[in-house]
Amino acid sequence: MLGGGSAFGQRIGIPSNEFQPIPIAITNFLPGTPSDGDVGNGVTQVITNNLKRSGLFAPIDQAAFIERISNMDVAPQFQNWKTLNAQALVTGRMTRQPDGRLKAEFRLWDVVSGQQLTGQQYFTSPEYWRRIAHIISDQIYERMTGEKGYFDSRVVFVDESGPKERRVKRLAMMDQDGANVRYLTRGSDLVLTPRFSPNSQEITYMEFGQGDPKVYLFNIETGQREIVGNFPGMTFAPRFSPDGQRVIMSLQQGGNSNLFVMDLRSRSTTRLTDTPAIDTSPSYSPDGTRICFESDRGGRSQIYVMAAGGGQAQRISFSKDDTNASYSTPVWSPKGDYIAFTRQGGGQFSIGVMKPDGSGERLLTSGFHNEGPTFSPNGRVLMFFRDPGGNSGPSLFSVDISGRNELKVPTPGFASDPAWSPLLSSTAGQ
Amino acid sequence: MNVDKTLVASIALHVLVLGWGLVTFSSKAYIAPEESLPIDIISTDQLAKMMAGQKTGKKEELKPKVEKIAEAKPEEDAVGKVTEKKELIKTNSQPEPPPKPVEKPVEKKPEPPKPVAEAKPKEEPKPQEKKPDPAKEDPIAELQKKLETKKPPPKPVEQKVAAVQPQHQPKPKERTFDPAQIQRDLDKRAATRHELAGSALNASASLGTATGTAATNIATWRGAFMTAVRRCFNPTYNGQDQDQYAADIDIPMKIDGTLASEPIIVEVRGPSRTIAQAIAESAKRAIVQCQAYAFLPKQQYESWKKIETTFTLRDAL
Repeated sequence: MLGGGSAFGQRIGIPSNEFQPIPIAITNFLPGTPSDGDVGNGVTQVITNNLKRSGLFAPIDQAAFIERISNMDVAPQFQNWKTLNAQALVTGRMTRQPDGRLKAEFRLWDVVSGQQLTGQQYFTSPEYWRRIAHIISDQIYERMTGEKGYFDSRVVFVDESGPKERRVKRLAMMDQDGANVRYLTRGSDLVLTPRFSPNSQEITYMEFGQGDPKVYLFNIETGQREIVGNFPGMTFAPRFSPDGQRVIMSLQQGGNSNLFVMDLRSRSTTRLTDTPAIDTSPSYSPDGTRICFESDRGGRSQIYVMAAGGGQAQRISFSKDDTNASYSTPVWSPKGDYIAFTRQGGGQFSIGVMKPDGSGERLLTSGFHNEGPTFSPNGRVLMFFRDPGGNSGPSLFSVDISGRNELKVPTPGFASDPAWSPLLSSTAGQ
Repeated sequence: MNVDKTLVASIALHVLVLGWGLVTFSSKAYIAPEESLPIDIISTDQLAKMMAGQKTGKKEELKPKVEKIAEAKPEEDAVGKVTEKKELIKTNSQPEPPPKPVEKPVEKKPEPPKPVAEAKPKEEPKPQEKKPDPAKEDPIAELQKKLETKKPPPKPVEQKVAAVQPQHQPKPKERTFDPAQIQRDLDKRAATRHELAGSALNASASLGTATGTAATNIATWRGAFMTAVRRCFNPTYNGQDQDQYAADIDIPMKIDGTLASEPIIVEVRGPSRTIAQAIAESAKRAIVQCQAYAFLPKQQYESWKKIETTFTLRDAL
């Protein structure tokens, strides 16, 4: 029990109950002009889907609504929404402006207290109405939970098509909800492990070209690409530093591979590890001071943490129930509180998280083949790919770091190796 | 006509064997064997001895009686008889009278107590010895506790309400020696001892009886209030640092258990201000949604006129 005393003793300590999604009513965004009806309904649908898929909200079926909102500038009759057990209510309006832009307005109401929690308006080109819906979703999410949202973000992944023996792998990018898929490569060369830059403008990935596989940089806006460094052997598993100024990767040397970091401005490279083992999948901590990576220096692939400049590495993965389990593909959370990983043991691949010191390991999902976790911008959700085996192909899934709310992420075809971008609205100025 | 004797003998022998077989192996209805039950045959004398009660066997009989009596609303009667029980206890434990007489024994102190006290040890030593056997010391001890716990209530009343005092003062003045009354009291004692023992046991096991002491326990409504509000408190945050978050909220209450006004966020604590604020607002919604808290004891309204709470996050992962 926390807090001070009172006239009748200490404060009554009330711990939280089991988590329950917040019931929320999202009304159709009103059309500012008769022609804005479709976009209003579209925005409402995107917001509803976002909040529902987050697992933290339970949007109430519109068929149950008692009150029809006809003017978003007038306070709703809250009793009508309390009856539905709604805790929050969203009202909004979409209006096409004389200059052709779209004006989006919304209000978030606390149904219980009858107060407005937040209200915003945005102007954008009509083709970006989905992004406006994502931004409004983030506003609602943040105001209700206190945490940053993650809806205004993208995911880059490897799109897979064709027969299993001759699978075509293309670099693709989409909104986090699976919309607006865009292909970045043509599929003539095999691509792997794409990763966003901190400003979401560039992607680094590995591509099997004519010679050795190399790490490339791809500019999303211009479509131009370039090789990162000119190393004699294969380079793979690249990832940006948090400041976007460096790329850390693995370089194959004989039967071993070590970690190197390259400064993108000076093009100078620095060796970080020098072991007769395979060191790969490096990932920076959000403050850029440490690196987690996987290494088989101990005989089996495990996760290690060391300073960003190299030095002594400390193993942090120790399986409690299976001494033969291996850990790989570590990724540091944007919040810094967890490291996600793929764990192989007992004939299963699991996705899990542990604290950076290796404690608090928690497996979120297990199955035949789960691999390659990536964190949402707010560190609350993990996306990964799952391959059921056989003639089928991999698909993308997301799961809350609590292990709840596992969902399939819609993609046009088979998909693997997802990487989540930072929040676009927070990187717009970068 | 020659007949082969051996053939005749053979036929005769076969007929004989077949006939015997038909008779012997004819089908009979299958009767499932019944399980045999062991039976001991005893005489009426032995049965009488078995059914005869034993002195040491009374414990088992008395317990269920107590429970039954308690369910039959003996508690209400017990309340009225409790005060009379004091004397009984004193007589059982002679050394103790001195300390208690300071206040209440004064009522009957004068003369009756002494004769009674002297008479009882002599006349009722046996019944008192028998009762310890059936484990009746505990009920009496509980009676003592009950008496002690029931003494306090009048005291605070005396302190708070001056008008109550005169009611207590006249009592000592009315003390008179009335053997008939003592006899009636003694009779009641005998009757109430059983019931009180029963009610005492049951009262300790139930929280909600009208005459139980649980209603006067502040901890009881605090716990109930915590449980009631917690039902609606479902915050979304599940970060690693969730144990560092807390929100102090004061809740003005009406006597009917509804909120007198909106809950007041006094202070929020935690690494992130926005998350702490969201947790506090989630707590406010929980408080409002889960009202009314009609179970709060009206007689203690002053103690919950303003309820001070601290909401925290439990590890939900």
